[in-house]
Amino acid sequence: MIKLTNISKSFGRNQVLKSINLTVEKGQVVVILGPSGSGKTTLLRCVNYLEKPNDGEIMIGDYSLKCKHAAKKDIHALREKSAMVFQQYNLFKHKTALENVMEGLVIVKKLPREEARARSVALLKKVGLAGKLDAYPSQLSGGQQQRVGIARALALEPEVILFDEPTSALDPELVGEVLAVIRKIAKEGITMIVVTHEMSFARDVANHAVFMDGGIIVEEGPPAELFNRPREERTRQFLKRITPELNYHI
Amino acid sequence: MKIDPSFIWLAFVQLLAVIPTTLMITAVSVTAGFVIGLAAAIVRIYNIPLLSQLASAYVTFIRGTPMLTHLLLIYFSLPVLVDAICAQFGWGFKSSSIPMIGFAFISFSITAGAYMSEVIRSGLLAVSRGQLEAAYSVGMTTPQGLRRIVFPQALAASLPNLSNSVIGMLHGSTLAFTVSVVDINAKAQIVAATNWKFFEAYLAAAAIFWGLTFLIEKLTALLEKRINLYNRGGVA
Repeated sequence: MIKLTNISKSFGRNQVLKSINLTVEKGQVVVILGPSGSGKTTLLRCVNYLEKPNDGEIMIGDYSLKCKHAAKKDIHALREKSAMVFQQYNLFKHKTALENVMEGLVIVKKLPREEARARSVALLKKVGLAGKLDAYPSQLSGGQQQRVGIARALALEPEVILFDEPTSALDPELVGEVLAVIRKIAKEGITMIVVTHEMSFARDVANHAVFMDGGIIVEEGPPAELFNRPREERTRQFLKRITPELNYHI
Repeated sequence: MKIDPSFIWLAFVQLLAVIPTTLMITAVSVTAGFVIGLAAAIVRIYNIPLLSQLASAYVTFIRGTPMLTHLLLIYFSLPVLVDAICAQFGWGFKSSSIPMIGFAFISFSITAGAYMSEVIRSGLLAVSRGQLEAAYSVGMTTPQGLRRIVFPQALAASLPNLSNSVIGMLHGSTLAFTVSVVDINAKAQIVAATNWKFFEAYLAAAAIFWGLTFLIEKLTALLEKRINLYNRGGVA
């Protein structure tokens, strides 16, 4: 279980997160929606401590951290509980697909090389890249790179995988292959928090949807509820803008 | 002016003997300069208080003054300093036992460090912030992420400029003659002093320098090809 309590974050005078509370159950797939600047990416990055919250408490599994007094060692321990899939993939450019997935296993988890290799190969197979083990990121398409990124995150067997707009940098025709992989692993019961603009994906895959705006959670609930019967006016406006109105002329 | 081709060859053969001196000065100054430069670049990029200002001052002063001046400043100050310190602590060491080439090593390392710090800094800045974030996200510590992810990429990015620094130091090493270290250029002068055929001797020196530079260029190209394998793209 992941529990965020009173998470606040400011960049200078600009308060981006205003005392956010969010609970994610084990095995849940949570999508975070919201306009740009709403703080959804910052919130996600706070969970992985790539952004340092000014205040609040982050609990992942059995580990909990008070952000005000976080020492380096605590941050490191918290980071090991989660893994991030980045919008810009951020694969290690000087390492092959296989090495990218192996890196964390060998260096952080201290697995023997052979075991790490076997596990990484299996994961790359799972994301459909068995034939690209020795390819460098520069030799892969965006969709392929992002699938390596997902394999890299999966390899660490974290409590939760965080997806930061995983398809936003992709060509439209490559979005499908990445979403298909995310769908597949969602079915396996891996806890995920996904920041996305893919509404149909959010509707199909998520079992909890969160709408953020102006640094607060405006509304949350089951996706069917949130999409079809939003309680808040702000949510309604957002959904209306992002999903084109059905307009039939017969 | 009549050129004596046979003396070019004669000088050339004699100059070969001092190539190790030139290479030694270059290797030491570049290696030490790399370490100094790396440290200076890191404290500046991470904006470590005090150290960062010190590093900036070091870089601007050294780059703002000629290499020959550094050598002379070291040559005239270091012995006094060493003797004073040794006298203070009662050590038996005398500055006169420092070999002349030692002054060249120290001063040229300081020179190289300043120039190379800028080369390394540009290499580090060329690596996107996302690379270190990705390292964090797989659970690495900052030193692990820097060593395994950022530095190799920064090195690849700064390789062409680093080879420039190496060549610069190779040619700069000729200044060591000022403190009576006999390098290739100095040897040419000595060889010619007997028969005044300076042009021939320096021609031989030029040929050797060009040859060495050519080797460095080839070596860099080879290294670049190996290190930059990942940047080629579109092959798989």
